[in-house]
Amino acid sequence: MTPTVNTNPLRDPRDRRLPRLPDPCALVVFGVTGDLARKKLIPAVYDLANRGLLPPGFVLLGFARRDWTDSDFAEIIREAAAEGARTPFREEVWERLAASIKLVPGSFNDDHAFDTLAQTLLDLEHTHGIPGNAAFYLSIPPSAFPVVLKQMQRTGMASNEASGGWRRVVVEKPFGHDQDSARALNELVDEVFTPEDVFRIDHYLGKETVQNLLALRFANTLFEPIWNSHFVDSVQITMAEDVGIGSRAGFYDETGAARDVLQNHLLQLLALTAMEEPVSFNAEAIRYEKLKVLRAVSLPADFAGYAVRGQYEQGWLAGRRVKGYLEEDGVPAESRTETYAAVRIGIETRRWAGVPFYLRTGKRLPRRVTEIAVSFKPAPHLPFNTTDTTELGHNQLVVRVQPDEGVTLKFGSKVPGSAMEVRDVAMDFLFGEAFTESLPEAYERLILDVLLGDATLFPNNAEVIESWRVIDPMEDYWARTVPFRYRAGSWGPAAADEMLARDGRRWRRP
Amino acid sequence: MTTLWDTTGSDVVRALAAERRSAGALAFGLALTLVVVVDEKHVGVAESAATTAAAAHPCRLLIVVRRQLDAASSRLDAEVSIGGRLGPGEAVVMRMFGRLSLHAESVVLPLLAPDAPVITWWHGVPPDHIAYDPLGVFADRRVTDTSAADDPVAALRQRAADFAPGDTDLAWTRLTAWRTLIAAAFESLTERPRAATIAGGDRDPSVCLLSGWLSDRLGLPVSVETKSHHGLAEVRFDLNDGELTVARQDSRTAVLKRPGQPDRAVPLAERGLGDLLAEELRRLDHDGPYADALAAWSTVKGLAARSPVREHIWRDPMASSVDSPGTTGTTGTITRKTGTIAGAAG
Repeated sequence: MTPTVNTNPLRDPRDRRLPRLPDPCALVVFGVTGDLARKKLIPAVYDLANRGLLPPGFVLLGFARRDWTDSDFAEIIREAAAEGARTPFREEVWERLAASIKLVPGSFNDDHAFDTLAQTLLDLEHTHGIPGNAAFYLSIPPSAFPVVLKQMQRTGMASNEASGGWRRVVVEKPFGHDQDSARALNELVDEVFTPEDVFRIDHYLGKETVQNLLALRFANTLFEPIWNSHFVDSVQITMAEDVGIGSRAGFYDETGAARDVLQNHLLQLLALTAMEEPVSFNAEAIRYEKLKVLRAVSLPADFAGYAVRGQYEQGWLAGRRVKGYLEEDGVPAESRTETYAAVRIGIETRRWAGVPFYLRTGKRLPRRVTEIAVSFKPAPHLPFNTTDTTELGHNQLVVRVQPDEGVTLKFGSKVPGSAMEVRDVAMDFLFGEAFTESLPEAYERLILDVLLGDATLFPNNAEVIESWRVIDPMEDYWARTVPFRYRAGSWGPAAADEMLARDGRRWRRP
Repeated sequence: MTTLWDTTGSDVVRALAAERRSAGALAFGLALTLVVVVDEKHVGVAESAATTAAAAHPCRLLIVVRRQLDAASSRLDAEVSIGGRLGPGEAVVMRMFGRLSLHAESVVLPLLAPDAPVITWWHGVPPDHIAYDPLGVFADRRVTDTSAADDPVAALRQRAADFAPGDTDLAWTRLTAWRTLIAAAFESLTERPRAATIAGGDRDPSVCLLSGWLSDRLGLPVSVETKSHHGLAEVRFDLNDGELTVARQDSRTAVLKRPGQPDRAVPLAERGLGDLLAEELRRLDHDGPYADALAAWSTVKGLAARSPVREHIWRDPMASSVDSPGTTGTTGTITRKTGTIAGAAG
């Protein structure tokens, strides 16, 4: 991507000991005192610094509305780094990093503040040897996007040409709330930045196991030949959370589980699971294949039977009584927002025709787990007595995305003893066992990729629009219905179980 | 943990299998076997480094301590543990007495994890010829540490003479942080420097390898300025408008100076043995840049083209000590029979 890599005589593709460092650059965080910035961004930046992966010239510029003094601000950032960092907190690393953290106070409609920010970025050339490179991280509500982007446009901050280096922008989900709003948001961002400089963060794609899915599929001969409708019976993709909505009632009640999780995380996992082999391992080729799969996604004809949503009521979870969704602070008593969504979709390609993909996500489920389970067809013929194989299920390949990152293979095996009896056993591969080389946090990896300009792990415009094409008809249908109720601490509403039972299947208990 | 006194190799294999069963680790994701060759005096240091490295790359750890080569009778003591004091993985510490030390592979071979890469690390003075040590012959990767030798520079020269793809030396690993910084400093450079100067200890093999790497990659003259203290102190590059300098400030930081730009403090941590070893375990293939740097410094040509496979050369240090009085009968002594390397250890 960056031409300097080829011209640097000290870079050698064989030299894998040397990590690639970004060019000298600034990371500008809007909403730096917000929740996400403090819990994820700041610790990730510290971890990058601690691992020596930041360039010698690096500056973190925080833009925040509140009137912090520099020392208050430094203290907040320090606390965030010390609490959230995964690598040991070392004072000398912190001091060096802290020296290059600056606060630019101001509100989003304050022209003066943006002029100051633009000037500060220009000055970095002399003060820190940063030749115009900057990434803007918009850790702010989408409603603030237009005003911030307009300010950036006005000051010329977003322009690669005007700055003399690269200018990139990082956008967090939600990427709109339906196809139209996503398109409007895209147009807004693309008008200010060039489309290839826009990085949409889906932090699931930064997880090692998700990237490992591509290694598993495309680096081995073992799995790819059976990765199609001849051998695969069905696929279940689950993202379960044990937490409720916390303090996000306002946001969540407008959004719901489908828009919050299904539209982005689950459809991205689906795309990686189902996509064809990319012609090469670069951003363009991978996005191209993902987009093809998303375009081939078909929705069930019968929404009533195959698009189930639920809302948790009070119940017991992990030994504690928890409130129902409607009793959560800030949720309207008559809210029909879903906290659980399960849907059956198909992929209309030669490889996948006829294989149902069941996606589900929910809050207040018994445990936090994300996994992709590929279930294979039963053997065409079993040369055993039927009583010998009563406990034999489908062969399964499960990619555990979190926690306990790894892969499980489930297959039948003879029970030791004089009788012929076949039962399911599980073979586990734990990432943490073969390589504990501490798995980098998703944000760490993604921020580094933004600074390096590597867009492989970021969904693009077209993918976002295509994902809304899948979600919008369901939302339209759901708008006329009331979600099913399920007890907090259970695996979702009974209607979701019935949905699979109708197909002669059942949900895997993750 | 199982401790076996005066035991046999088969009993060690059996004890390891029993430990695996009781640890419930039958489906352990074993990625590699690390064989550590160490003197009794340094077992503690080597163990703790290997434990650190094993925590980053779970492996089967086989520690071989050769003792009293001249003992009248051979004897094997072993300690087998899983998830004990030697980290979360499987570990076997073996002490071999007498002639058994010369046939250590007879105990170690059946203990290697099936079809997984083997890395052998000599904690102390590296053998003059790796082919002399059967524990190095079956390894896919061999890690030496020339800085442990009496004359590290001569030892590094010997590594070049004895090189085979798959060999690396920790003197190279110690350079990674330096090389990362220097390469990053070159990233935005628009001109090629005319010359480079390295300031560092004259007996430091890392200084030698850095000069080799720079002259190989940049094709420019590299001079070495001798400093009295150990280690690498500073690297300078001549540019049109001044000097680009990376200088160590303290054990954690370096300063990067460039003409027309403010000085910058950058991280440059001195790493412990365990971290260095962990970096070695990350690479299981031939390290081309190391071979090139070693070749450029030593002027021995065609290193990377050599065969990666060695054949064991039988050599009895007891016999050679009779030949040349004055050397003691420990492994790692130079035989006077192999004239090419005589005097390498000073």
